[in-house]
Amino acid sequence: MNDGSIQSTGSGHKSAVKRLLLEAAFVAVIGALFAFAANRVSPRGLALSRNYFPEETGRFMLPIPPASQPHNAAGTNAPTFDPAQLLAAELKAKGLQLIDRSQALQLFHDPRFKQNIVVFVDARDEQHYRNGHIPGAFEFDPYRPEKYFDAVLPVCQAAEHIVVYCNGGDCDDSETAAVLLRDVGIPSRKLLIYGGGITEWITNGLPVELGGRNSENIRNPGK
Amino acid sequence: MNIGQLNWNRIALNLSALLLRWLLGAAFLYAGLSKALHPVDFLKLLRQYDLVHSSLLLNSIAAALPWFEIFCGALLLAGVAVRGTAVTLMVMLVPFTMLVFHRALAIQSALDIPFCAVKFDCGCGTGVVFICHKLLENFLLLLLSAWLLAGYGRQFSLRFDLIKSKPADIGLKR
Repeated sequence: MNDGSIQSTGSGHKSAVKRLLLEAAFVAVIGALFAFAANRVSPRGLALSRNYFPEETGRFMLPIPPASQPHNAAGTNAPTFDPAQLLAAELKAKGLQLIDRSQALQLFHDPRFKQNIVVFVDARDEQHYRNGHIPGAFEFDPYRPEKYFDAVLPVCQAAEHIVVYCNGGDCDDSETAAVLLRDVGIPSRKLLIYGGGITEWITNGLPVELGGRNSENIRNPGK
Repeated sequence: MNIGQLNWNRIALNLSALLLRWLLGAAFLYAGLSKALHPVDFLKLLRQYDLVHSSLLLNSIAAALPWFEIFCGALLLAGVAVRGTAVTLMVMLVPFTMLVFHRALAIQSALDIPFCAVKFDCGCGTGVVFICHKLLENFLLLLLSAWLLAGYGRQFSLRFDLIKSKPADIGLKR
């Protein structure tokens, strides 16, 4: 053929594949370097050596019970699955105590709350905290504890009851925060986990503070 | 078919190839950014897969993956090393899709519901999704990557092939 066209030969095809794989490897290596560098400089970046989950809970790895248990209404001997009981037992094993909404509300209205003898700790991130938290609650993101230790630790050391909460439901950040506080020396008998969390609190129309702590920007103040 | 019609067809093909390259790039950029902005949330979601037991490894994956996706998305948008990036994305997408599929199966068997009724946050950057939608989305992303790998989407590329072919690699017949 003498038409001046360019055609790939067998060896040309092989080397094209080689070039492609080399290019992909190049993208992968440069991409990985970029990724770690970006994580390092990002203010929200993760600390690679930190164990963010000091005690593996696995509480809601699957957010549902095994199918064989709850559907057993026909009188078999399968145990009844109660997430609250299960959670309470798990927390008890760690020396922590689960409380419900009425207990949390009782502590919220306790006169000692004003004197920081009863303390509420919000274990969600800053954005969620600012969008609404239990009035007077201290911000304590357990994944960025270094930011909050200075403000939270002295208060927790002086308090008699520390109510820790997060979103509720399958959120285990309150537990992570409580374990963290326990591990830095706060006696576990003081630590109470409000399992319903902010979701249950809001659903029941209870007061919510917007913005920073003691901003006095309160929704539903009367409850 | 006349020459004019051929040209229009080619222009339409080129334009759609360009738009699809940008679409794929934007999809990865968005997915990466949504995770990079909330790395702890992504870390928690990743932990649910029970992939690795070393916290260093888990943190490394959660820290690097979002930025890696941003990097690949940016390369596709700019048109740099497009085919190499497409290969890299395919290599990532296949195991991720399998992981999501396995987790969905586990949820399905635990809940005893139809497979397509399973919905959860797979950590893909799009929040809670129905599994069948997610699998379809990943299949489309794979298809788009394969399309770019075939050499489409060269228009407005800064450097489509990062490693240029040498004349010796091509049989030049005259």
